[in-house]
Amino acid sequence: PCRAQPKKKKKVDVKKEQAQKERMKKKIKKLEKAAPELIPIEDFITPLKYSESNRVRSLPALSPEESERRVLLLKKWCLFKQKQDEAEKKAIRALVESQQEALKELRLESEELYQAAIKRDERLFPFERDGPSYTPPLPGYDAPEGKCVDITKVYTQ
Amino acid sequence: DALLGCHRSYRSRPTHGIGRFRYLLPKELPKRRKEKVQMKEIDTGTEYQYGDVNIQMTSYDLCLVEHFAQYVHRLCNRLSIQVNESYAMPTKTNEVLFLEERGSKMQLDAVLTTHQRVVQIRGLSSTFAPILLEVIQSNQPEGVHLLVKQHTEADFKSRLKSRPELEELLAQMS
Repeated sequence: PCRAQPKKKKKVDVKKEQAQKERMKKKIKKLEKAAPELIPIEDFITPLKYSESNRVRSLPALSPEESERRVLLLKKWCLFKQKQDEAEKKAIRALVESQQEALKELRLESEELYQAAIKRDERLFPFERDGPSYTPPLPGYDAPEGKCVDITKVYTQ
Repeated sequence: DALLGCHRSYRSRPTHGIGRFRYLLPKELPKRRKEKVQMKEIDTGTEYQYGDVNIQMTSYDLCLVEHFAQYVHRLCNRLSIQVNESYAMPTKTNEVLFLEERGSKMQLDAVLTTHQRVVQIRGLSSTFAPILLEVIQSNQPEGVHLLVKQHTEADFKSRLKSRPELEELLAQMS
Protein backbone atom coordinates (compact mmCIF):
# COMPACT_ATOMS: atom_id res chain seq x y z
CA PRO A 1 0.00 0.00 0.00
CA CYS A 2 2.33 2.89 1.14
CA ARG A 3 5.54 1.16 0.25
CA ALA A 4 6.02 2.47 -3.25
CA GLN A 5 6.40 6.18 -2.44
CA PRO A 6 9.06 6.00 0.31
CA LYS A 7 11.13 3.70 -1.87
CA LYS A 8 11.02 6.16 -4.75
CA LYS A 9 12.19 8.96 -2.48
CA LYS A 10 15.18 6.93 -1.39
CA LYS A 11 16.22 6.08 -4.95
CA VAL A 12 15.89 9.65 -6.19
CA ASP A 13 17.84 10.99 -3.23
CA VAL A 14 20.69 8.58 -3.69
CA LYS A 15 20.86 9.33 -7.40
CA LYS A 16 20.79 13.06 -6.80
CA GLU A 17 23.52 12.79 -4.22
CA GLN A 18 25.66 10.75 -6.55
CA ALA A 19 25.12 13.22 -9.37
CA GLN A 20 26.05 16.09 -7.07
CA LYS A 21 29.19 14.32 -5.95
CA GLU A 22 30.22 13.66 -9.52
CA ARG A 23 29.65 17.28 -10.45
CA MET A 24 31.77 18.42 -7.52
CA LYS A 25 34.52 15.97 -8.47
CA LYS A 26 34.49 17.28 -12.02
CA LYS A 27 34.75 20.87 -10.77
CA ILE A 28 37.63 19.95 -8.51
CA LYS A 29 39.42 18.22 -11.38
CA LYS A 30 38.96 21.25 -13.56
CA LEU A 31 40.28 23.62 -10.91
CA GLU A 32 43.19 21.34 -10.12
CA LYS A 33 44.18 21.21 -13.78
CA ALA A 34 44.99 24.91 -13.75
CA ALA A 35 48.51 25.31 -12.40
CA PRO A 36 48.98 27.40 -9.25
CA GLU A 37 50.23 30.90 -9.96
CA LEU A 38 52.82 32.95 -8.12
CA ILE A 39 51.63 36.11 -6.43
CA PRO A 40 52.73 39.11 -8.57
CA ILE A 41 55.28 41.25 -6.81
CA GLU A 42 54.40 44.94 -6.67
CA ASP A 43 58.07 45.97 -6.42
CA PHE A 44 58.74 45.02 -10.01
CA ILE A 45 55.78 46.81 -11.57
CA THR A 46 56.51 50.51 -12.10
CA PRO A 47 53.37 52.56 -11.48
CA LEU A 48 52.05 54.28 -14.58
CA LYS A 49 52.43 57.79 -13.26
CA TYR A 50 56.23 57.54 -13.54
CA SER A 51 56.20 56.54 -17.19
CA GLU A 52 53.53 58.95 -18.45
CA SER A 53 55.05 62.30 -17.52
CA ASN A 54 56.92 64.26 -20.18
CA ARG A 55 58.99 66.49 -17.97
CA VAL A 56 62.71 65.88 -18.22
CA ARG A 57 65.29 67.22 -15.82
CA SER A 58 68.09 69.20 -17.45
CA LEU A 59 71.34 69.01 -15.54
CA PRO A 60 73.67 72.01 -15.35
CA ALA A 61 76.91 71.85 -17.31
CA LEU A 62 79.96 70.83 -15.26
CA SER A 63 83.16 72.82 -15.30
CA PRO A 64 86.32 70.86 -16.22
CA GLU A 65 87.75 71.28 -12.69
CA GLU A 66 84.57 69.86 -11.22
CA SER A 67 84.56 66.85 -13.55
CA GLU A 68 88.30 66.28 -12.83
CA ARG A 69 87.61 66.36 -9.12
CA ARG A 70 84.77 63.89 -9.52
CA VAL A 71 86.79 61.45 -11.60
CA LEU A 72 89.67 61.52 -9.11
CA LEU A 73 87.23 60.98 -6.24
CA LEU A 74 85.73 58.02 -8.08
CA LYS A 75 89.16 56.50 -8.53
CA LYS A 76 89.98 56.94 -4.85
CA TRP A 77 86.66 55.33 -3.91
CA CYS A 78 87.36 52.40 -6.25
CA LEU A 79 90.74 51.87 -4.63
CA PHE A 80 89.27 52.04 -1.14
CA LYS A 81 86.55 49.54 -2.00
CA GLN A 82 89.09 47.21 -3.60
CA LYS A 83 91.24 47.28 -0.46
CA GLN A 84 88.15 46.58 1.64
CA ASP A 85 87.17 43.65 -0.56
CA GLU A 86 90.70 42.23 -0.50
CA ALA A 87 90.76 42.46 3.28
CA GLU A 88 87.44 40.60 3.46
CA LYS A 89 88.65 37.83 1.16
CA LYS A 90 91.86 37.54 3.16
CA ALA A 91 89.89 37.28 6.39
CA ILE A 92 87.68 34.52 4.97
CA ARG A 93 90.71 32.59 3.74
CA ALA A 94 92.41 32.96 7.13
CA LEU A 95 89.29 31.73 8.93
CA VAL A 96 88.96 28.68 6.69
CA GLU A 97 92.67 27.83 7.01
CA SER A 98 92.71 28.11 10.76
CA GLN A 99 89.55 26.01 10.96
CA GLN A 100 91.11 23.28 8.82
CA GLU A 101 94.28 23.31 10.93
CA ALA A 102 92.31 23.05 14.14
CA LEU A 103 90.32 20.13 12.73
CA LYS A 104 93.54 18.38 11.67
CA GLU A 105 94.98 18.72 15.15
CA LEU A 106 91.72 17.49 16.64
CA ARG A 107 91.80 14.47 14.37
CA LEU A 108 95.28 13.62 15.60
CA GLU A 109 94.07 13.96 19.16
CA SER A 110 90.91 11.82 18.99
CA GLU A 111 88.85 10.49 16.09
CA GLU A 112 85.55 10.55 18.02
CA LEU A 113 85.71 14.25 18.81
CA TYR A 114 86.63 15.00 15.21
CA GLN A 115 83.60 13.13 13.89
CA ALA A 116 81.33 14.88 16.38
CA ALA A 117 82.77 18.29 15.42
CA ILE A 118 82.23 17.71 11.69
CA LYS A 119 78.54 16.89 12.13
CA ARG A 120 76.02 19.60 11.34
CA ASP A 121 74.54 21.70 14.10
CA GLU A 122 70.77 21.31 14.36
CA ARG A 123 70.39 24.29 16.66
CA LEU A 124 71.96 26.69 14.15
CA PHE A 125 68.76 27.12 12.10
CA PRO A 126 66.54 29.08 12.29
CA PHE A 127 68.91 31.98 12.84
CA GLU A 128 67.54 35.48 13.27
CA ARG A 129 69.29 38.81 13.67
CA ASP A 130 68.10 42.39 13.50
CA GLY A 131 70.31 44.81 11.65
CA PRO A 132 72.02 47.68 13.51
CA SER A 133 69.88 50.81 13.73
CA TYR A 134 70.78 54.49 13.44
CA THR A 135 68.29 55.37 16.17
CA PRO A 136 67.83 52.58 18.70
CA PRO A 137 64.64 52.81 20.81
CA LEU A 138 64.92 55.26 23.71
CA PRO A 139 64.53 53.63 27.14
CA GLY A 140 62.01 56.05 28.73
CA TYR A 141 59.96 56.97 25.67
CA ASP A 142 56.17 57.03 26.01
CA ALA A 143 54.79 56.28 22.55
CA PRO A 144 51.26 57.44 21.57
CA GLU A 145 48.71 54.69 21.35
CA GLY A 146 47.88 53.39 17.94
CA LYS A 147 47.55 50.35 15.80
CA CYS A 148 48.89 48.78 12.62
CA VAL A 149 46.49 47.78 9.90
CA ASP A 150 47.57 45.30 7.25
CA ILE A 151 46.28 46.47 3.88
CA THR A 152 48.14 44.06 1.59
CA LYS A 153 46.16 43.18 -1.50
CA VAL A 154 45.04 39.54 -1.40
CA TYR A 155 45.27 37.76 -4.73
CA THR A 156 43.03 34.79 -5.43
CA GLN A 157 43.13 32.46 -8.37
CA ASP B 1 55.38 27.47 -67.23
CA ALA B 2 55.12 23.73 -66.86
CA LEU B 3 58.83 23.54 -65.99
CA LEU B 4 58.60 26.30 -63.38
CA GLY B 5 55.37 24.95 -61.90
CA CYS B 6 56.45 21.35 -61.19
CA HIS B 7 58.12 20.51 -57.84
CA ARG B 8 59.62 17.16 -58.78
CA SER B 9 63.15 16.69 -57.59
CA TYR B 10 65.20 14.72 -60.11
CA ARG B 11 67.28 12.71 -57.66
CA SER B 12 69.59 11.28 -60.30
CA ARG B 13 70.45 14.67 -61.75
CA PRO B 14 73.15 16.90 -60.31
CA THR B 15 70.56 19.68 -59.92
CA HIS B 16 68.77 17.77 -57.15
CA GLY B 17 67.82 20.00 -54.24
CA ILE B 18 68.70 23.12 -56.13
CA GLY B 19 66.15 25.38 -54.45
CA ARG B 20 66.99 24.47 -50.80
CA PHE B 21 67.59 27.38 -48.49
CA ARG B 22 65.97 26.49 -45.11
CA TYR B 23 69.19 24.82 -43.96
CA LEU B 24 71.05 28.10 -44.30
CA LEU B 25 68.80 30.11 -41.98
CA PRO B 26 69.62 30.31 -38.21
CA LYS B 27 68.00 27.59 -36.09
CA GLU B 28 64.64 28.70 -34.70
CA LEU B 29 64.06 27.46 -31.15
CA PRO B 30 60.61 25.94 -30.58
CA LYS B 31 58.26 28.34 -28.78
CA ARG B 32 58.20 27.60 -25.06
CA ARG B 33 54.80 27.31 -23.52
CA LYS B 34 54.34 28.82 -20.08
CA GLU B 35 56.20 26.58 -17.67
CA LYS B 36 53.97 25.38 -14.88
CA VAL B 37 55.06 26.49 -11.44
CA GLN B 38 56.06 23.25 -9.80
CA MET B 39 57.76 22.77 -6.50
CA LYS B 40 61.32 21.56 -6.89
CA GLU B 41 62.36 18.68 -4.67
CA ILE B 42 63.51 19.86 -1.29
CA ASP B 43 66.92 18.52 -0.34
CA THR B 44 67.25 17.59 3.31
CA GLY B 45 71.01 17.20 3.27
CA THR B 46 73.29 14.63 4.79
CA GLU B 47 74.96 14.60 8.20
CA TYR B 48 77.79 16.85 7.08
CA GLN B 49 75.83 19.10 4.73
CA TYR B 50 72.79 21.28 5.18
CA GLY B 51 70.17 20.83 2.46
CA ASP B 52 68.14 23.72 1.05
CA VAL B 53 68.70 26.81 3.19
CA ASN B 54 66.74 30.07 2.81
CA ILE B 55 68.39 33.39 3.62
CA GLN B 56 65.51 35.84 4.01
CA MET B 57 66.15 39.58 4.21
CA THR B 58 63.31 41.87 5.29
CA SER B 59 63.23 45.62 5.50
CA TYR B 60 61.14 48.75 4.93
CA ASP B 61 63.79 50.10 2.55
CA LEU B 62 63.59 48.56 -0.93
CA CYS B 63 66.99 49.63 -2.33
CA LEU B 64 68.93 48.43 0.72
CA VAL B 65 67.28 45.04 0.69
CA GLU B 66 67.80 44.60 -3.07
CA HIS B 67 71.45 45.53 -2.88
CA PHE B 68 72.06 43.33 0.13
CA ALA B 69 70.41 40.39 -1.66
CA GLN B 70 72.63 41.00 -4.68
CA TYR B 71 75.68 41.13 -2.42
CA VAL B 72 74.77 37.83 -0.72
CA HIS B 73 74.17 36.19 -4.11
CA ARG B 74 77.55 37.34 -5.43
CA LEU B 75 79.26 36.25 -2.22
CA CYS B 76 77.82 32.75 -2.61
CA ASN B 77 78.95 32.67 -6.24
CA ARG B 78 82.44 33.69 -5.21
CA LEU B 79 82.60 31.06 -2.46
CA SER B 80 81.29 28.43 -4.94
CA ILE B 81 78.12 27.67 -2.98
CA GLN B 82 75.32 26.48 -5.24
CA VAL B 83 72.47 29.00 -5.37
CA ASN B 84 69.15 27.36 -6.30
CA GLU B 85 66.98 30.46 -6.55
CA SER B 86 67.00 34.11 -5.68
CA TYR B 87 63.49 35.51 -5.56
CA ALA B 88 61.35 38.17 -3.96
CA MET B 89 58.44 37.56 -1.64
CA PRO B 90 55.28 39.67 -2.13
CA THR B 91 55.41 43.07 -0.43
CA LYS B 92 53.29 43.73 2.65
CA THR B 93 51.70 47.14 3.18
CA ASN B 94 50.95 48.39 6.69
CA GLU B 95 48.98 51.45 7.67
CA VAL B 96 50.14 52.95 10.94
CA LEU B 97 47.42 54.82 12.82
CA PHE B 98 47.88 56.61 16.10
CA LEU B 99 45.42 57.97 18.62
CA GLU B 100 45.33 61.78 18.78
CA GLU B 101 46.09 63.39 22.11
CA ARG B 102 42.73 65.15 22.30
CA GLY B 103 39.85 63.20 20.89
CA SER B 104 39.17 59.62 20.09
CA LYS B 105 39.83 59.63 16.36
CA MET B 106 42.64 57.52 14.94
CA GLN B 107 44.84 59.55 12.67
CA LEU B 108 46.82 58.17 9.79
CA ASP B 109 50.53 58.46 10.49
CA ALA B 110 52.22 56.61 7.64
CA VAL B 111 51.92 53.83 5.08
CA LEU B 112 54.86 51.44 5.34
CA THR B 113 55.80 48.78 2.78
CA THR B 114 57.80 45.75 3.95
CA HIS B 115 59.98 44.12 1.30
CA GLN B 116 61.51 40.68 1.50
CA ARG B 117 64.14 38.97 -0.63
CA VAL B 118 65.13 35.31 -0.43
CA VAL B 119 68.35 33.62 -1.54
CA GLN B 120 68.13 29.84 -1.55
CA ILE B 121 71.36 27.85 -1.31
CA ARG B 122 72.18 24.18 -1.34
CA GLY B 123 75.07 22.08 -0.19
CA LEU B 124 76.40 24.25 2.62
CA SER B 125 79.00 22.24 4.53
CA SER B 126 78.74 22.15 8.31
CA THR B 127 82.24 23.59 8.84
CA PHE B 128 81.68 26.53 6.50
CA ALA B 129 78.23 27.56 7.70
CA PRO B 130 79.37 29.59 10.74
CA ILE B 131 81.95 31.44 8.61
CA LEU B 132 79.33 32.38 6.04
CA LEU B 133 76.96 33.56 8.77
CA GLU B 134 79.74 35.71 10.28
CA VAL B 135 80.49 37.35 6.94
CA ILE B 136 76.83 38.07 6.22
CA GLN B 137 76.27 39.45 9.71
CA SER B 138 79.26 41.77 9.56
CA ASN B 139 77.95 43.26 6.31
CA GLN B 140 74.34 43.55 7.39
CA PRO B 141 73.05 47.07 6.62
CA GLU B 142 70.88 49.13 8.97
CA GLY B 143 67.26 48.19 9.32
CA VAL B 144 67.59 44.91 7.42
CA HIS B 145 66.33 41.93 9.38
CA LEU B 146 68.10 38.68 8.55
CA LEU B 147 66.54 35.24 8.90
CA VAL B 148 68.30 32.00 7.94
CA LYS B 149 66.23 28.82 8.02
CA GLN B 150 65.73 25.56 6.18
CA HIS B 151 63.44 25.45 3.20
CA THR B 152 60.06 23.80 3.70
CA GLU B 153 57.02 23.18 1.54
CA ALA B 154 55.07 25.77 3.52
CA ASP B 155 57.61 28.40 2.47
CA PHE B 156 56.99 27.55 -1.17
CA LYS B 157 53.22 27.49 -0.75
CA SER B 158 53.23 30.98 0.76
CA ARG B 159 54.40 32.36 -2.58
CA LEU B 160 51.38 30.98 -4.46
CA LYS B 161 47.97 32.54 -4.84
CA SER B 162 45.25 31.19 -2.60
CA ARG B 163 42.40 29.26 -4.24
CA PRO B 164 39.33 29.67 -2.03
CA GLU B 165 36.95 27.85 -4.41
CA LEU B 166 39.10 24.74 -4.55
CA GLU B 167 39.52 24.73 -0.80
CA GLU B 168 35.78 25.13 -0.28
CA LEU B 169 35.00 22.22 -2.58
CA LEU B 170 37.61 20.02 -0.94
CA ALA B 171 36.18 20.85 2.48
CA GLN B 172 32.71 19.98 1.24
CA MET B 173 33.88 16.68 -0.17
CA SER B 174 35.50 15.44 3.01
